[in-house]
Amino acid sequence: MTPPSTDSASAPSRRRRWVGGSSAIVAVAAGVLVLLALLALLADVVTPYDPLKQNLIKALQWPSASHWLGTDDLGRDVFSRLIYGCRIAVIAAAEATTIAVLLGVPIGLFIGYRGGWWDWVVMRVVEAIVSIPGIMVAIVILALLGTGLHKAMIALGILFSTSFLRLARGVVLAEREEVYVRSARVVGASDSRILLRHIFPNIAPPLIVQVTLTVGAVLLAEAGLSFIGLGVQPPDASWGTMLSTAAAFMDLHWFLAIPPGIAIIVTVLSVNLIGDVIRDSIGRGIAVGVRPGTPAARFESAAPPAEAAGPVGVAIDNPVLRVEGLQVMVAARDGGEIPVITDLSLGIAKGETLGLVGESGSGKTLTGLAILGLMGTGVRTTHGSIALNGRELRSLSSSQMEDVRGNEVAMVFQDPTTSLNPAFTVGSQIAEVLRTKKGMNRKEAWERVVELIHRVGIPRPEERARAYPHELSGGMAQRIAIARALSCNPSLLIADEPTTALDVTVQQEILDLFRDLQDEFGMAILFVTHDLAVAADVCDRISVMYAGEMVEMAGVDQLFAMPRHPYTRGLLTAMPHASDRNPPLPTIRGSVPRPGSWATGCRFSNRCDFRTAACDRRIPLMGRERLVRCVRADELVLEAAQ
Amino acid sequence: MSDDALLEIRDLDVTYWGRALLGLKGKTFHAVKGANLAIRAGETLGLVGESGSGKSSIANTVLGLVPASGGSIRFGGVELTAMKTRYPSDIRGQIQAVFQDPYSSLNPSMTVEEIVTEPLRVHTKMNADERRARAIELLKLVSLSEEHLGRHPHQFSGGQRQRIAIASALALTPKLIVLDEPVSALDVSTQNQIINLLYERRDALGIAYLLIAHDLALVHHISDRIAVMYLGHIVEEGPSDRVYRAPAHPYTKALIDAVPLLDPDAQRRRRADRKAAPAQERPRVAATGCPYKNRCPFAMPRCQSEMPPAFPVASGGTANCFLLDGATATVAAGSADEVVS
Repeated sequence: MTPPSTDSASAPSRRRRWVGGSSAIVAVAAGVLVLLALLALLADVVTPYDPLKQNLIKALQWPSASHWLGTDDLGRDVFSRLIYGCRIAVIAAAEATTIAVLLGVPIGLFIGYRGGWWDWVVMRVVEAIVSIPGIMVAIVILALLGTGLHKAMIALGILFSTSFLRLARGVVLAEREEVYVRSARVVGASDSRILLRHIFPNIAPPLIVQVTLTVGAVLLAEAGLSFIGLGVQPPDASWGTMLSTAAAFMDLHWFLAIPPGIAIIVTVLSVNLIGDVIRDSIGRGIAVGVRPGTPAARFESAAPPAEAAGPVGVAIDNPVLRVEGLQVMVAARDGGEIPVITDLSLGIAKGETLGLVGESGSGKTLTGLAILGLMGTGVRTTHGSIALNGRELRSLSSSQMEDVRGNEVAMVFQDPTTSLNPAFTVGSQIAEVLRTKKGMNRKEAWERVVELIHRVGIPRPEERARAYPHELSGGMAQRIAIARALSCNPSLLIADEPTTALDVTVQQEILDLFRDLQDEFGMAILFVTHDLAVAADVCDRISVMYAGEMVEMAGVDQLFAMPRHPYTRGLLTAMPHASDRNPPLPTIRGSVPRPGSWATGCRFSNRCDFRTAACDRRIPLMGRERLVRCVRADELVLEAAQ
Repeated sequence: MSDDALLEIRDLDVTYWGRALLGLKGKTFHAVKGANLAIRAGETLGLVGESGSGKSSIANTVLGLVPASGGSIRFGGVELTAMKTRYPSDIRGQIQAVFQDPYSSLNPSMTVEEIVTEPLRVHTKMNADERRARAIELLKLVSLSEEHLGRHPHQFSGGQRQRIAIASALALTPKLIVLDEPVSALDVSTQNQIINLLYERRDALGIAYLLIAHDLALVHHISDRIAVMYLGHIVEEGPSDRVYRAPAHPYTKALIDAVPLLDPDAQRRRRADRKAAPAQERPRVAATGCPYKNRCPFAMPRCQSEMPPAFPVASGGTANCFLLDGATATVAAGSADEVVS
């Protein structure tokens, strides 16, 4: 057993990712919050005047050198009051948010984990509270408690605790079904330990966002409550009371509203922005894909597709599909692009099934999607040609492509239960294709639907056409998906792991169905699978993919009788029923390299037992009857699998 | 069953209740019906079946995640079903598990060190240094190293994650590990690495495995005995080689024959055979009699009404099929050669 390769990116680089173009704004926001905290702490030191000291002679003055922001109706210095307002704002935000978190999160965790009656009762109470406008609830609570900053903040804390409660409960409900929670129970962790140690840390990212949103909302609510006289009481300075004063003198001196208004806006914006940034940086990465800064394989993007002279791939007369020199690139985190499929050429004749086999990360699924023009954002075809029935698909507009899909090319996906829309009957989903692509009317379409459903081997087709996807078994749903794919009689069918999610006995039936339908409809099939035995059953020719390129292509009998590429051979011997002995079972050491970390020469060389110096340079596909990308293919005597 | 069984399951029933309004119990679903199994110390039992066969329900019941609704589970002589899902600490520590999906079975917010040492924190009084030392030792057992301690699960590939899960399951050196489809989410070349690792650790530490899987070919490599489930019933049980090479129950044979072979020619022959005798579409669930009667090519009148008991198979084990009533022949000798070839 070899130690696994280190295929992970370091945490710091991931953490610094968000600091990109918006770093200046982030710095400003952080600066605002630091300033706010400092002003709150040092209000006594930095204020030029006592915020409560009145001077009626100098009332309602405009900004001047002695009063930077002017004075209010009682001649108090607005600048000093604004700074004291910072203190109130910080206290208010901290108090209300703390109360909300301390009240909401534990209750939410508890009811989420316990469920049952506890959950039911608490949630009904919460629903009652949130169904009333928040400010009303706060006023009611204040009516019970009396007015004043701290009482107002308790009221707001209770009010905002409902959102923390629902957040915590939602996270628990989602996480407790996770396998890692089951693992923790098997380990023997107590309920409280599972809740606090296993589930709670996963609440952090949404919790931080909620905290920042709440801080912003509290600042606004405090201003609102003080404005209507229920929060901070005059003469104390808060941004809310300042606004309240300004409102009274709007006609006389509109400037009074500006300083507290801007203070509130800037603070709330800064808090929310910083919250987003924190959330992004601690968010758990879902498989850190590519390591930035590995230019090794990038040269290929500039290289002309394939140095091979003449047509690559076994010559086929009038192929339905001909792909030549296909290269697909995916956007990298560092702004560049990384190749995920390089120099791929293949052709499929009418009535032929070409298997595309390989492990995860080989690019086999992406090949199917590239042909359909259905790659996600950040993925694009950069080189090569894709010709379907002689027509170049890459030159088509997206609306022309839409027309091609469904009509000329159709696809069957791995999981039939998710590839069918749960909201519609299966019959209507097939009928929809017929009506939009073939222009059939309702009745014609329905008749054809029943016929198709019958054709894919489902008994009582009229009845089954009216069923919803969840009412069908996996095998039955896959038959429906196949019927839908064949509804417009496509010349090419792309099947991506169509039997992987099914039980073996059902798999066998579906594979037989593919064969039968091909005999009848005569379409070409591109069959993508990781299971070589499935490929042995259903394919006429097989193309083995490894790390974004084809390493071998041969007729099905030849490939299994005598695999020529060491990778193909490794895969064959690793199949469970290939070997007949007890462990250790044969393995291929290491793992499939990720895009961006491919070797410049043979991409399999670091896992290969037959490596030589010649493997370090780029190796073309060679051969005529069958193709292989290995410099030692001829000299190596590769015995048959088994 | 024998006295030396580490785990002994007798007449186990597992029933789920659907939720009706206000948490009242609704429809029942019998996931496991009258299952009998035994695993000796250090032995591997492969439990095979298709989705919905009840194999995972047995695993979850043994692990105390789901209560049994009838029958008994004895572990080291202690009756577990009476405890429902609240196993005492000493038993919890002796039964560990590795689950199928390496992407969701590790807590994303914990480091490898925390994941691997969690059983030690719960069950032992080791201090942080001792736990760390043990964690390094465990990582070495699964071919990972000290440098991985501080990393989070998302930084690892599927195979590496499964190694981490195995390291955690080994932490307390349990007597039994339940492996619920441990490699079915992995690529073939990685699958065998994990199977080899499990095999090595078993022999070195004398751990028994309850291996739940759908792939008989894979299970056969590592199991001492195999039990086959169909619709909640165990239909066949016996020594691994016997069950794989000479299946006695028609369902086991169908299961083996359905796995495609790496030989295109053999597949063509099989397909021609299937064409010659097309299977009829009939409901899979049987209310009375043998659970497999609706799909069975050998169904007899007796299978319609009577539930077949476990008949002994001459070359070892049992099969619940009336074909064996008095007879000793296996269902079809042909399947064995085909699989080996």
